Amino acid sequence: MIRSRFALACLFALASCSGIQTPLAPAGEQAASQYSLFVLMLWVCGFVYVLVLGFLALAVSRVMRGAAADPVLDAPDRGLHRSLWVWAGIILIGLSVLAGGSFLVDRSLAAAQAREALEVRVTAHQWWWRIAYRDPATGGWVETANELHLPAGRTARIALGSADVIHSFWVPNVAGKMDVIPGRANAIDVTPHRLGWFRGQCAEFCGTQHAKMAFDVKVDTPAEFAAWLAAQARPAAALADTVAARGMQVVTQGQCAACHVVRGTAAAGRAGPDLTHVGTRRSIAAGLLPMNRGNLQGWIAQPQALKPGTMMPTVTLEPADADAAAHYLETLK
Amino acid sequence: MIVPDEADPRRGNGAWRWAWAPAVASLMCGALLVACTRESRTIGPEQPQTPPNGANDPRIANFEGNAYQIAQGGRYFTWYGCGTCHTEGAPGRRDLALEMTRRSRSFDTVYALIAGHRGVPVDYAARIPIEQLWQISAYVRSLPGIKPELRRRQTLDQTGEPQASNWSGPVR
Repeated sequence: MIRSRFALACLFALASCSGIQTPLAPAGEQAASQYSLFVLMLWVCGFVYVLVLGFLALAVSRVMRGAAADPVLDAPDRGLHRSLWVWAGIILIGLSVLAGGSFLVDRSLAAAQAREALEVRVTAHQWWWRIAYRDPATGGWVETANELHLPAGRTARIALGSADVIHSFWVPNVAGKMDVIPGRANAIDVTPHRLGWFRGQCAEFCGTQHAKMAFDVKVDTPAEFAAWLAAQARPAAALADTVAARGMQVVTQGQCAACHVVRGTAAAGRAGPDLTHVGTRRSIAAGLLPMNRGNLQGWIAQPQALKPGTMMPTVTLEPADADAAAHYLETLK
Repeated sequence: MIVPDEADPRRGNGAWRWAWAPAVASLMCGALLVACTRESRTIGPEQPQTPPNGANDPRIANFEGNAYQIAQGGRYFTWYGCGTCHTEGAPGRRDLALEMTRRSRSFDTVYALIAGHRGVPVDYAARIPIEQLWQISAYVRSLPGIKPELRRRQTLDQTGEPQASNWSGPVR
């Protein structure tokens, strides 16, 4: 029984060794160098830990063997004196190795990258992420939200800003963690090398819905990324059908337009996420729900029930209009 | 000679000297909690879905004088670009702090004035959700009680937030 419980506990500990949000399965250069630092610390600290416990066990067994003797004052022990110096030396070497490793990793993270080419701006809001890319075609900025796409093998310099309070940008698989502080221009370099979906999360308590301030990260091939960015730069897609036409009327001429942009329509609010290509995203409301028509409708009808305290207010719509709006948003590919 | 503890005259004095300590500590702890009610609010789906029905609508109590609702109202006041015209010291009735000091208006009147506002560029009742109109009304009603320097600081705090269709980037 005890053995199986122990095995279960070990399995839980291993659960974070793979997955979409873990520093233990690096998918980027920066994450890999931080992971190597972690491994170094694990070995050095593990070695010292085993050594300490070994000596403790030795001392206990010595006491138990020669038990019940009255405590006596030991005569000066030259061997003990010498081994204490050795012990101090081990500590000094261990700490020097750790400090040296930390220094080297820190320096490599801060170093200018030769391949630094892609410029991305990420702005944290309560409780979502505004993401903007420099468009190579026009030189302007292409905006999206809550989904960060990065080309593999290319360094992106992510400029971090906050619109309100302190947040923290954290994509453990790809990059490290960097605080997002109002009034301070922070930046983080990211060079992903493994394709796939990962998860980012705000890592600094920023208010009621801090836990639900996530974002998806997709590492694409450079060609896929270029195609994705070109598609994001285009204005909203043409209407698919009459229901979508009604939905467009609701979204772009009603309350949604006060805070949301749908490029190419009358909706030009800047307070909330850009919805021009919301249908292409994997999730809605900063990683809260998977993207689909039903979830969109639920989010429009009762955002306060799904994410209490969110700045997205309840928009009172007739059921048919809410469905049309959700359908329209779903078609914004 | 060993004197028993009970016979030590200083002990009696010490006990008397520290007798008030728990009382003061609990008073201080109590004082820390006093301000908590200023921001108490219900989050979740139970937000107003209809405008106030008269000056005695019981829902008004949840907004009036509540620091959270007033601060959110101030935020939406910025988001919807109200501050573009209604600046500090604006001419005539546009200076809302002065206007609210001159004429006392009930909550539902302020709400109706904002919802019925036919300003540039839109019809506000059609654009601003009801829950936010409640918060903006609470903010406007609170303006005479907020010192100008505090109002200015709120404006500065919100420089990173979007204003209507403008957003100048994060706080720099």
